Amino acid sequence: MSEAALRVHTVDDDADSSRQKDELVLVTTPAVRARRHPRAIAAMWAWQTVLALLASGPAAGLARAAWRGDVDGDSPLWAPGGHALLDWLWHDAHGLRATVNAAEIVLALGAVAGLVPMTAMMIALTYATRDRKAAGFVRSVAGGLRAFPSMLLLLVLAGLLQGLVVGTGALLAYLVEGWAHAGMGEARAQQVGGVVIVLFLGMGSAVGVIHDLARAAVIRFKVKGLRAFALGARTFRLSPVSLWWSWAWRTLASIAPVLAAAAVAGRLGGRGGFGLAFLFVLHQSVVVARVALRTSWLARALRGVDGALRRVRS
Amino acid sequence: MRWSALALLALTSLAPPTESASVPVVQRGRDTDVAPAAADPGAPAAAVVTPLAGPAFDDDAALPAHADDIADYTLRATLDPEAHTVHGEGTITWRNTSTQPARELWLHLYLNAFKNERSAFFRERVGGRGSAPPEDWGWIDVRKLVLRAGDAAPVDVWPTAELHRPGDDDETDARVPLPREIAPGEAVQLDVTFDDKLPIVVERTGYRGHYHLVGQWFPKVARLEPDGTWAHFPFHHLAEFYADYGTYDVTLDVPQAYTLGATGPLVEWHVADGRRIERHLQGDVHDFAWTAWDAWQTARENIDGVEVTLLYPRGFTRMAQRELATLRFALPYYSAHYGRYPYEVLTVVHPQQDAAESGGMEYPTFITSGSSWMTPPGLLAPEIVTIHEMGHQWFYGLVGTNELAWPFLDEGLNQFAEQDGMGKWRGEGSGLDLAGLTVSDAAVDAVGGNLGVHDEPVAQPANAFTTGANYGGLVYARTASVMETLRRVYGDEPVMRALGRYARRFRFEHPGPDQLIAVFEEVLGARVAATLRTALFEKGWVDYVVDGVWANPATRAAGMFDRDGQRQKVEHDDRAAREWDNAVLVRRRGTLSFPVDVDLILADGTTRHEHWDGEGESRRFSWHGTSAVRAAVVDPLDHVMVDLNLENNRGAAEGRGGSAGSTLERATYWMQLALEAVSP
Repeated sequence: MSEAALRVHTVDDDADSSRQKDELVLVTTPAVRARRHPRAIAAMWAWQTVLALLASGPAAGLARAAWRGDVDGDSPLWAPGGHALLDWLWHDAHGLRATVNAAEIVLALGAVAGLVPMTAMMIALTYATRDRKAAGFVRSVAGGLRAFPSMLLLLVLAGLLQGLVVGTGALLAYLVEGWAHAGMGEARAQQVGGVVIVLFLGMGSAVGVIHDLARAAVIRFKVKGLRAFALGARTFRLSPVSLWWSWAWRTLASIAPVLAAAAVAGRLGGRGGFGLAFLFVLHQSVVVARVALRTSWLARALRGVDGALRRVRS
Repeated sequence: MRWSALALLALTSLAPPTESASVPVVQRGRDTDVAPAAADPGAPAAAVVTPLAGPAFDDDAALPAHADDIADYTLRATLDPEAHTVHGEGTITWRNTSTQPARELWLHLYLNAFKNERSAFFRERVGGRGSAPPEDWGWIDVRKLVLRAGDAAPVDVWPTAELHRPGDDDETDARVPLPREIAPGEAVQLDVTFDDKLPIVVERTGYRGHYHLVGQWFPKVARLEPDGTWAHFPFHHLAEFYADYGTYDVTLDVPQAYTLGATGPLVEWHVADGRRIERHLQGDVHDFAWTAWDAWQTARENIDGVEVTLLYPRGFTRMAQRELATLRFALPYYSAHYGRYPYEVLTVVHPQQDAAESGGMEYPTFITSGSSWMTPPGLLAPEIVTIHEMGHQWFYGLVGTNELAWPFLDEGLNQFAEQDGMGKWRGEGSGLDLAGLTVSDAAVDAVGGNLGVHDEPVAQPANAFTTGANYGGLVYARTASVMETLRRVYGDEPVMRALGRYARRFRFEHPGPDQLIAVFEEVLGARVAATLRTALFEKGWVDYVVDGVWANPATRAAGMFDRDGQRQKVEHDDRAAREWDNAVLVRRRGTLSFPVDVDLILADGTTRHEHWDGEGESRRFSWHGTSAVRAAVVDPLDHVMVDLNLENNRGAAEGRGGSAGSTLERATYWMQLALEAVSP
């Protein structure tokens, strides 16, 4: 890739330009920070919530229909012991299966369509107007739509690579486990197999990191498809540990609130009134925290490709 | 045996079972009355003795110290762990305790179930474990069976034995004609030599590598009932066993590097010529099983006066600890409720998952547990399997019911004991306690028990069940749910007392369903006994329904009235805002009845608590009051676990139902997490 292709305009570069003030230009590398864009995080959360509501609505409707006779609605379903829940799962099995299928479709479509808001968020992180105002919702989404083909190509490419890596790992783990079983016993053999799996998952995650760096390259340098992937890979190669760890600690940190919320939810009950309201706030706080961590990582990826560019230049 | 497939079905499948299969038929031997139900499923046991247990059996004072020794086995077993064979020889001492002379003996050769696919076991496959043929076949060859009776010369009776019936290749039920009758009360000695070839682990027994779990491995004399009929049967796919009590004196001979576990305490051991020889001796039991493996890890602990030995594979230490913790609760609890555990030892074997078919099984003083080493703490599978198999020490071991004829008497009652014990130990999360979601063992049984309730009765022989799913659902879960319903409706104390009285009264005996029901009648009355019989024998079911909730303004009746010779028009008055005529209709559908509570919820926020004795098909609650009825709930405290449909237990006046906020909140959150997971 030529350096000319990687030439970017920044707010500082164009500070004295006479172009219109609302033209979008790149912000400086250090300024690409998730914490500066709470509205982008909120928009991402809203997108997920709308999709989740679409996916969960049919099941909730089914519960409402089944438990319409109770003044507390469906709250008995979530009573300790799970008797009503299991009874409902049995009696409304066919309806629930249909709702699960519908949810699967929503999730699958949402996963692909989600490339647009994700790209829009990355644009919001990395672009601003010349007078340093945020890119804005409409222009970010428009940018997301324009970048969709490239992002989809990257998704397919990364998915295939990750599938290959993890599949190879699973096969190797199976072989290693079988080889170790007789000598080490089932548990130890499975643990050794698990180590192999974890190693390959680590490699798969590295592919994921490269994938995100490639996305950042699409946003930051307006390159496309395979060129973006190559740039992502080159960026990763320049500082693999730092970049992978930046992804990993945020991913690990995003698991913690889920576990904490599960522990609290058990004690809370959350079957109506204040308990349910509190559970809602708790759960949505978890989701917002996870979205924020993901956004933080994508900002880091954007900074990462910029840093790689500087190293290439120097 | 733990029917783990049931729980799996209930927890993982949303689809009703559609499995169907051929109906296995109880095979009647020429002289047997072992299984009356195939021809007449609802018939009570052949010989009914009024139990008259009485309060003397509410504690341990009247417990018998020992069983009547009828079949004693003194055996020596030598394991070749490379060929997976066991050479056995020894003596069986058997006494005719019936009122009739015995002209033949029946020997169970259960290991031949795995000899070929023409065995009854494989012909009757209807799902569940043991359905796939073993990767390596197993069998037992009896070499000799020398009868020594009185002063008569010893005679090998095996050459005249009939190993299978004409046209039937099953070789698990051998008839041995005798050269002379064995009189009532007379004891004989049988010198026996046999060779086992173990299968790869299948349905409770076999090997996997160097691991060996040796169950149903020796020629076993069938039980001769008091009336002189033999309770003999082939090894059926869904069935278990039935035998007389006796003393087992077994010497095991294995390579020195192997660790042994077996029924009964170790009374002698030594090492010679690279072999470990152990002698295990246990009285008052009706079976003997053992394990040998060169990779066993061992944990020992004295729990409630019982020497507990836990044998587990490397890497399963946490599972072993969980199983010991279970026994620390369960052994004293069961002893307190069902009579003192009478043996010195209990051995728990935890096989690896590659030998899982040998897990979840009971033998006297020797049980097998199961589950993966990575089972999360919130999934209580190891605890449930352990408590279940330990419970069989009472319901199978100490109360020696016929497991073929009446499987609910061991598996069903034991399943109830399991869910009761788990519930009292772990509360509402006694099945699953994970991520804020709790599922009780009792709830799993309640729903699982409803699955096949209209198909066939609970009280029938194991091999009469049409599918493995129905066997599991009805024998295990349905029985447990019926008992749990009685416990919740009539109270913990009387129901536990009734079951404890039954367990103590029939310790070391072989009761049938009538004895169980009679004890419940003794403690809880005729209605409970009738309910129990209907539930067990007559596919009894029940569904409580709130069928109508009405709140009408209590206005003056309007219309045209002829009064005092004049026609007057009467309008509603203004009481509508203050007074209401309320009515709630509750129905009981089905053939079972239980007293239930009915909560009538009023618009002013108060609740009227009513009680319905459950008699009759419906009950209408009508009253006049200052508050409109808003909704009604029948059985609000979830006492009737066998209620076929919980959704219709609630009813609201039109337009007054609640929302689905709880489900929407959770489902949305889970979908958000799922979306994050699938979104790249």
